[in-house]
Amino acid sequence: MSRTIIDIHVLQTVPPSNVNRDDTGSPKTAVYGGVRRARVSSQAWKRATRVHFQDKLDPSELGVRTRRIVELLAKEITRQAPELAERANELAVATFKVVGIVVKPPKKGEVEESGYLVFLSRRQIESLASAAVEAAGADDVGKALKEADVKALADRDHSIAISLFGRMVADQADLNVDAAAQVAHAISVHPVETEFDYYTAVDDTNPEEDTGAGMIGTVEFNSSTLYRYATVDANRLADNLGDVEATSRAVRTFVESFIRSMPTGKQNTFANRTLPEAVIVMVRDTQPINLVGAFENPIRESEVEGRIKRASEALRDEAQEIERAYSETPVSSWVVRVGEDTASLDDLGGSVALADLVASVGAIVGARLGSSS
Amino acid sequence: MSVVAISLSGPMQSWGSGSKFVRRSTEMAPTKSGIVGLIAAAKGLRRTDPLEELLGLRLGVRIDQPGQLMRDFQTAQRPRKERDGTVTWRSMPLSYRYYISDAAFVAALEGERALVEGIDEALRSPAFPLYLGRRSCPPAGPLALGVFDDDVMSVLAQLPWMAGERHQRRHVTQDVRLGVLRDAHAGEPGAETIHDEPVSFDPNRRLYGWRSVAREHVVVTNPHGREGAVEHDPMSVLGGG
Repeated sequence: MSRTIIDIHVLQTVPPSNVNRDDTGSPKTAVYGGVRRARVSSQAWKRATRVHFQDKLDPSELGVRTRRIVELLAKEITRQAPELAERANELAVATFKVVGIVVKPPKKGEVEESGYLVFLSRRQIESLASAAVEAAGADDVGKALKEADVKALADRDHSIAISLFGRMVADQADLNVDAAAQVAHAISVHPVETEFDYYTAVDDTNPEEDTGAGMIGTVEFNSSTLYRYATVDANRLADNLGDVEATSRAVRTFVESFIRSMPTGKQNTFANRTLPEAVIVMVRDTQPINLVGAFENPIRESEVEGRIKRASEALRDEAQEIERAYSETPVSSWVVRVGEDTASLDDLGGSVALADLVASVGAIVGARLGSSS
Repeated sequence: MSVVAISLSGPMQSWGSGSKFVRRSTEMAPTKSGIVGLIAAAKGLRRTDPLEELLGLRLGVRIDQPGQLMRDFQTAQRPRKERDGTVTWRSMPLSYRYYISDAAFVAALEGERALVEGIDEALRSPAFPLYLGRRSCPPAGPLALGVFDDDVMSVLAQLPWMAGERHQRRHVTQDVRLGVLRDAHAGEPGAETIHDEPVSFDPNRRLYGWRSVAREHVVVTNPHGREGAVEHDPMSVLGGG
């Protein structure tokens, strides 16, 4: 079987910021190559990517991650069959019982919830609701739902988000979906120290004679040039979605949203919205390859050469060295880059604009998967 | 017997052997269950598929660069609609995840030639994306180091030192001792027992047995060592050996 794997490498500078913090409020860090680096966790960037999707995709292709699954399904049952409005809640609970997802008894004045977040696609909710509506007329609703095989309904027509990021259902492991996308923690290509910003806040209505601050505190931050890496296994994505066209669309959406998104931590304090200086996308046919080894020796800027220039050169050298040593040549690759400092990356692929890159990746995925199925 | 060798290095790895609920711990070296899981993923086995053929493999893990323990903290929130229609966010239980950062290991697995060759091939073209114990920890560079007609300890003694250059330069001697954790022989004295023998990865009934591990070391060449250099050894003044 021919394999199609999409590796995304990003170099992105963020100004003073605290995009992702730990339980003490400090920006997250990790040690690599013997020095401390800034870090943004994969969880944080995956969520930012997923939120970025919302505007890009039709609601029917999106998933909802919630504990309020009973209310969600009851609403859909009522929409499909308004005459069942009074029984909608009870039908929804019965449906999830047959699916195997346990819902907790309601607190006073509230609706039943699951004990954990459940990721359901729009189409799964719709088909569960129509099965519930069908079964509503039967004498034994539970038996009718079982015959309609609602468990199978919850296990197909996955949303693009579920197919990319996976799903875990704690008490029904066979409803789990293995994620087709893998996102690494972003780390800075250079050493960082966390800095502290001491601030005072003035009370606007303070009388003149009453001196002193209304409040004092510190905000921790750092600034960094991050290496971000993600890979999408297009074959596994196609298994999850079951359709070549949907797979191509999911890849396009993921590539664009991963590149453009930014976690929102302390965004209003630091206005750290940036776009990457450089993006390299490589389509491979054997294995995904993370090029983070390029930065194991930390990048240090000099008076003549900035961080981005040296980081771009290190990334290019690592890619070429791996290609030479392991005969791992990408099937196709493209570079989106800003400014002269990133020029060395042109050795890795044709320089294009992001829109062209996204379209080209989508086209190659469609062509490769279409021809192999 | 033949051996397949695997390079396990990257900024972060996490090899849990007893994680429960919100505290996800890591051992300080790759576990057998983690490595067998990685190979199963490379070969395209589903979680419910039988693992029999992989269970007889003998494992040795060489610690090329020990790395540091790192704690990560993760939050999750869920929306909640209030009576007046506004949406507020409630925190889900906080979770702590432990990683080893900045580490490099070499794993060697001994078994029948055909099985070992199949593993090497699968690692070069894996069916599922591979990771170092946790999905957010992709390996740095390719994993497969090749197939050798030798036993685990000899292979680990002959493969070059895979620590980062900076780490290697901190050692002045030409020879360095690297720790190895390997499957113990039956009845071997001094072996430790850990809950790390994978039996089934079926998510509905995951099963691990106990495994005996022996500690040993191998000596490899330091490409940055200097001739005649000696490691500082304050105990030498006490004499003896």
